[in-house]
Amino acid sequence: MTINSTSLAGIPPVAGPTAELVLRPTRVLRLPRSPKVIAGLVILGVFGVLAIIGRWIAPYSPNATDQQNWVRHVLVPGTGAGTGFPASYYPLPLPPSAAHWLGTTVFAQDVSSQLLAATQATMFVGLLAAAIATVLSVLFGVTAGYLGGGTDEGLSLVANVFLAIPGLPLLIVLADYMPSAGSSVLLVAAIIAVTTWAYTSRTLRAQTLSLRNRDFVEAARVSGESRVRIILVEVLPNLIPIVAASFLFTALSAMGAYVAIAFLGLAGSPTSSPPGLWNWGEMLREGFANNAVRGGWWWWWAPPGICIALLGTGLALLNFGIDEFINPRLRAAGLSRRTAKKAGISLRSTLGMTPVAHRRAVAIMPQVTAMRPEPSSVRNAAEPVLTIRGLSVDYGYGDQAVHAVVDCDLVLRRGKVLGLAGESGSGKTTLALAAIRLLRAPAVITGGEVLFHSKPISGEEPAGTIDMLSATEEQLRAIRWSEIAVVLQSSLNALNPVITIGAQFDDLLRGLARAGEVLGMVGMNAERLRSHAHELSGGMRQRAMIAMAIALEPQVMILDEPTTALDVVTQREILEELIGLRDRIGFATLFITHDLSLLVELADEIAVMYAGRLMERAPATSLFHAPRLPYTYGLLHCFPPLHGARLAMEGLKGSPPDLRDLPSGCAFHPRCAWAMPRCHQDVPTLAPLDGSAREVACWLHRGEANVPAELARPDPLPSGSGRSGSIARVGEP
Amino acid sequence: MRALLRRLGVYLLAAWVALTVSFLLPRVVPGNPVAGAVARASQSGNCNSQCVEAIEAQLGFNVHTSLWDQYVQYWGNLGHGNLGQSWSENASVSSLIISYLPWTLGLLLIATAVSFIAGTAVGVLMAWRRGSWLDWVLPVATFFSALPYFFLALVLVLILGKTGTMLKVFPSLFGYDIYGVTPGLNGPYIASIIGHAILPAVTVVLASTAGFILAMRNNMITTMDEDFVLVAQAKGLPARRVIWYAARNALLPVIANFTVAISLVVAGQILVEIVFNYPGIGFHLYDALGKLDYSLVQGIFVVITLVVLAANLLADVVYVLIDPRARQMA
Repeated sequence: MTINSTSLAGIPPVAGPTAELVLRPTRVLRLPRSPKVIAGLVILGVFGVLAIIGRWIAPYSPNATDQQNWVRHVLVPGTGAGTGFPASYYPLPLPPSAAHWLGTTVFAQDVSSQLLAATQATMFVGLLAAAIATVLSVLFGVTAGYLGGGTDEGLSLVANVFLAIPGLPLLIVLADYMPSAGSSVLLVAAIIAVTTWAYTSRTLRAQTLSLRNRDFVEAARVSGESRVRIILVEVLPNLIPIVAASFLFTALSAMGAYVAIAFLGLAGSPTSSPPGLWNWGEMLREGFANNAVRGGWWWWWAPPGICIALLGTGLALLNFGIDEFINPRLRAAGLSRRTAKKAGISLRSTLGMTPVAHRRAVAIMPQVTAMRPEPSSVRNAAEPVLTIRGLSVDYGYGDQAVHAVVDCDLVLRRGKVLGLAGESGSGKTTLALAAIRLLRAPAVITGGEVLFHSKPISGEEPAGTIDMLSATEEQLRAIRWSEIAVVLQSSLNALNPVITIGAQFDDLLRGLARAGEVLGMVGMNAERLRSHAHELSGGMRQRAMIAMAIALEPQVMILDEPTTALDVVTQREILEELIGLRDRIGFATLFITHDLSLLVELADEIAVMYAGRLMERAPATSLFHAPRLPYTYGLLHCFPPLHGARLAMEGLKGSPPDLRDLPSGCAFHPRCAWAMPRCHQDVPTLAPLDGSAREVACWLHRGEANVPAELARPDPLPSGSGRSGSIARVGEP
Repeated sequence: MRALLRRLGVYLLAAWVALTVSFLLPRVVPGNPVAGAVARASQSGNCNSQCVEAIEAQLGFNVHTSLWDQYVQYWGNLGHGNLGQSWSENASVSSLIISYLPWTLGLLLIATAVSFIAGTAVGVLMAWRRGSWLDWVLPVATFFSALPYFFLALVLVLILGKTGTMLKVFPSLFGYDIYGVTPGLNGPYIASIIGHAILPAVTVVLASTAGFILAMRNNMITTMDEDFVLVAQAKGLPARRVIWYAARNALLPVIANFTVAISLVVAGQILVEIVFNYPGIGFHLYDALGKLDYSLVQGIFVVITLVVLAANLLADVVYVLIDPRARQMA
């Protein structure tokens, strides 16, 4: 009766776009505590209790009948005294009353007693069928997925054949040829299970297939564990959410099927011999067959139908909970309008426009600008094209908000490369995407200012400055891509899989001639315009993405780890192309990466982020050769440099902090080798170091202690002049 | 083409399994199904001697050939489109089914098309306007998706049907006004057909739309999180175009799972036809069950299976047409 949402949405189909399931080893099913799940559990609980105790609270036996008192006798017209015919009566069911909560049937039976008995049978058969079907689907699906090869082919074929044959007609034929089936609950359940297991089996197979190649399963295999043990211990526990969702879905369809065949009179009538069980479908059948609808006896046929719908809703709501567990993107966390309103955010924000909580922005902004004059040495450099001041971003609203970016300042200058470095989760991407308001819900910009200084066109118009955070949708759309373009890390996901590269250029340019020309600029053949994303290699896709980004000759290019997913050779080629393009078109670049050594070759200036805050900012060479921040020092010793002297690789202790539970004081202090008592208490802010263009947020440099030798190397660029380097120049002594 | 041929192979195999099950069942079921069947029929009091003979012949009694010879003959008959003889209607099963099929297919096509389009559109809208009042559609849709088709049909008959007790707006029995109009190409007949199709169609649409809404909403939310949607936004494309980008991709799993959806709709419609005495194959399946007309039951089962398999194949072809990745494999 329902198309299951879990199975349709959460699970990747054989050839569709894959909704990747996040399944970690030994992660048990924990349902989100949403109203939906609670409502589902309550409904299921009530029906469960009724099914168990129904037998005792039912006022009568479901078959009990009292032809005298439980029906109203109506004289058949044209009979009785004066007509010459003996009086003849027909029975009418009684509406609900104190004696019969849900009235009676035309057969003088108590509806509420029948309903309670039917609840038990319907639930029992549904759950039994679901249990059998789940066992079948786990056996078939997991075996097929794990063993693969010929076994997989064979078992999948069986499942696909069963899936293709329509269930209910098969069920009808099966039940019809086994007239005795009605009296055997087990047989009914088995027949239902046979017609419903295949779908779940297919989903489980797909999941097992993906689990099979995970590291922890691989490890178990290498360590020589038996297949059965691996399946039982390593694979199955990770399938629990899906098995649970499937069980609920199967229970729901099994009850639907049971009710349907009972409605058709194929599940055994309670009055025949051997007797079948009272169930909701049988009640509906009797009512329908005896004109309950036309007679207006709603109390007879409506309750069983409402029960089916309610129980079905309960199961479906629980299924939602599991869906949201399996696929967290479905969770509406932080989307509630009430919490948003409390935090002063209008959720009517347009798609693709990160909302701005203006209230706080106004409060913070003037202070920020007042407090932080730009260092004098930088002020004289190239004119800024994008100015970010005091930008703060939260995920979620109110008390549950996670502060992903706190009070960040960045200035991107014309034709320059600004590197933004940090570990994953430090807020680099959040900062960059917030600046152009591309962050999705539940992200909220809670403060700051982002100004885009547009280049004067043909020298006549004055350079316009646009406040990105108060720009209208139209203004933003006009700036996007034509002035500020973005290249994301994974180009496979960044290209639309179902349309050609050419069609994606078509969004930007009229006519494919220019598109071919731009492709040529990144070393691709114009032929590729007719290709789809999946037909290109990783490097090709990233080139196509870059070609798209430069197509409109933007003034700002945001590169979010553009080469991380590529091999070293391709990475190098693409970086060189980017530098070449930058020289030709002259865009300013915000280059986001976790690879500091890469930035040193590319960037004029580097900013280092940690736990949502900017911690150090300096000209690239200074930062590389003479880091001032312990964290930067650690990062630099994570990657072997491509050129230059050999260094001992020490790396960073520990792992990046959880933004929901940041350490007090300086967020880095638990991992810092030089942490002092003050670091545990006070948050350091970014401040200029004496007499240089660089800034650092670290108590070590505030005269509180002796600066360790590692953090006090002589700055190679004391003048603070930026450097528009090309790769060829980089690394030369 | 390869992937499509593979799917075709699966469907052919499924058809073979269904036909073989339909052949074997009456012949291998343990016990004496005739006695059981006759006993069941006598309760409703309509199995005469002709009926008993027909059941016996149908169940493979009084046949002095081997099971294999019967099987070969069965396929030979099927090859000629011969599905046997219906004793209750005294006509060939295939001719009967041909007369039932237009009613079912007409209703099925229109109702599925409407519910697919409406459900998909609402699903897209819900994902687009997440956090708005549209979220309330979710529990409502869940409730409707859990509602059995035939129960919904009963409720609609009660409220809107002329045989109901409340508003008495739409006809709710039979495929057309069997007393008032003469079948043929005349206005009143066609108008009557349309009027009689309204309630059954509304039932199927109401009950099946919810499933499409939920599926599309969830796929859409997942897809909107993809990078290519972010890129579309970064390109400054209008919201409508961004949504279209996402919707086209989100539609793929829905079509890939059409198999399950169509089976459910077909199953639901069988029951809806019964409630409305709508003269399609669903109603006649019910009718034949009651009359123990096994030839007719089997024939209808075979035809429903073939119709569903054909719908699946169609969905596969559509999938290949709209997903270039599948096209490459195909």
